[in-house]
Amino acid sequence: MSKISKLDKRIANPEVMAGEIQQSEELFRILFYSSPIGTYIIQDGDFQLVNHGLARILGYEEDELIGRPSLSFVLAEDRDAVRENAVRMLKGGCSLGYEFRVVNKQAKIKWVMETVVPIYYRTKRATLGSLIDVTERKQMEERLKQITAELQHSNTELEQFAYVISHDLQEPLRMVSSYTQLLAKRYSDKLDNDADEFIAYAVDGSKRMQSLLHDLLEYSRVGTRGKPFSLVNCEHIVEQAIANLKIAIEECEASVSYDVLPTIMGDEGQLVRLFQNLISNAIKFRREEAPQVHISAKRMNYIVTFSVKDNGIGIDPQHSQSIFEIFRRLHTIEEYPGTGMGLAICKKIVERHGGHISVQSQPGQGSTFYFSVNTAGGEPA
Amino acid sequence: MNSQIAERPIEILIVDDNPGDVRLTAEALKDSKVQNRLHTAQDGMEAIAFLRRKGEYADAPLPDLILLDLNMPRMNGSQLLAKVKEDSALKNIPVVILTGSREIDDIIKANNLRADYYVTKPIDLEEFIMAVKSIVDSLLNQREIAGGGGVIG
Repeated sequence: MSKISKLDKRIANPEVMAGEIQQSEELFRILFYSSPIGTYIIQDGDFQLVNHGLARILGYEEDELIGRPSLSFVLAEDRDAVRENAVRMLKGGCSLGYEFRVVNKQAKIKWVMETVVPIYYRTKRATLGSLIDVTERKQMEERLKQITAELQHSNTELEQFAYVISHDLQEPLRMVSSYTQLLAKRYSDKLDNDADEFIAYAVDGSKRMQSLLHDLLEYSRVGTRGKPFSLVNCEHIVEQAIANLKIAIEECEASVSYDVLPTIMGDEGQLVRLFQNLISNAIKFRREEAPQVHISAKRMNYIVTFSVKDNGIGIDPQHSQSIFEIFRRLHTIEEYPGTGMGLAICKKIVERHGGHISVQSQPGQGSTFYFSVNTAGGEPA
Repeated sequence: MNSQIAERPIEILIVDDNPGDVRLTAEALKDSKVQNRLHTAQDGMEAIAFLRRKGEYADAPLPDLILLDLNMPRMNGSQLLAKVKEDSALKNIPVVILTGSREIDDIIKANNLRADYYVTKPIDLEEFIMAVKSIVDSLLNQREIAGGGGVIG
């Protein structure tokens, strides 16, 4: 009611109305001419009205642009796309944030982002456009793309490098190892005690290096020799892992239980290895009592989080990150044998499945390992 | 029959370009107490010449067993195996693939090529001796069942 009555008053008072229109026009003029955003009206393909912002982006004076076809400033390769977008705009009502390239007066190519709406100007159909220079952002994007590609390339190369190294070093090492074993077999008790001891150290060392290389090879294979993802039932996966550990489980009278587990997209062989490493650790790092391991899973949207809980010796929280590094061991080989690669392999498998791995534990109070799997995304490129 | 088999050492052709591996296999055979005569070819071309008694191999015996490395220069192990299995005079000779690799791909390839046995080169020497011995034993058993003709020639 009050609006109508206000309007009534203005109609009633033409002087007030004329003043307001003048003020509004002034406001528009200031906004139009001072805005850094290129603003313009195109009619029949030519610029009818342009502001300083557009002139600056294109490197011309305003009056150099008036009357010239707007498409002539668009980079030749992008013209068809810009024309098509204009047609779509006429049908759809407007076009927001369309990106293309223009050529400025100095013949430099610039990336711009344009928003256009159809209007009537001097009683004829026209287009009101606004445009900003996004060259810098585009350059950053390109640079980022390039850096990402370079990183991916160097990462692949590193993986390949690790693979070749660990694979090819096995050959000569096999010679060292085999012949020191042959020496031990044929000549122990025939030389003196020192010789026996030296040979024993050489055999141990070469055997240990073989297991390090073997595990390093397996680690690099996660990235380089993975299988394409398929639907896998995690209960079958866990059963397979338990079957592979049958002897170890029986030896220490461990009980391994699991809840209902989901079916997910993943690399079956790698997931078996993942559960197998975690269960095997849970049994290996046990206390006096018989080990109990329990596996469960929770789904939240596309993320499935698994937990592997044990009643073992636990881990000091200060090591909860570093245990996932390669060749990381918290105990001597005499206390707990192993290469220190198990959890690093786990981490790599989890990351290939788009997830994260972590541990919650206190010394003497068991550990729970959590890892997530992204069931929405496919395999990373 | 048994005594006849024991009388003649079995003829083994090892095809491998690494002298360290050849010697190691020889030592493993020695430790496995298998009576044998070991012949060596450094690659597939030499092995074919031996098997077909070409040139310097005119007097070579037809081996009872071929031990084959997959990774060799000139004609490699898989190519040689294919040739052996295509040749009616050679195809009945049992072939054992010896490889340093535990790659599933290699094992599948060996199966496709109809290798008779597959042995991973030793990580553990004792394991290797056992593997060699069990292959030779099973070979001798087969010959015995077949009447020993193959070995005795």
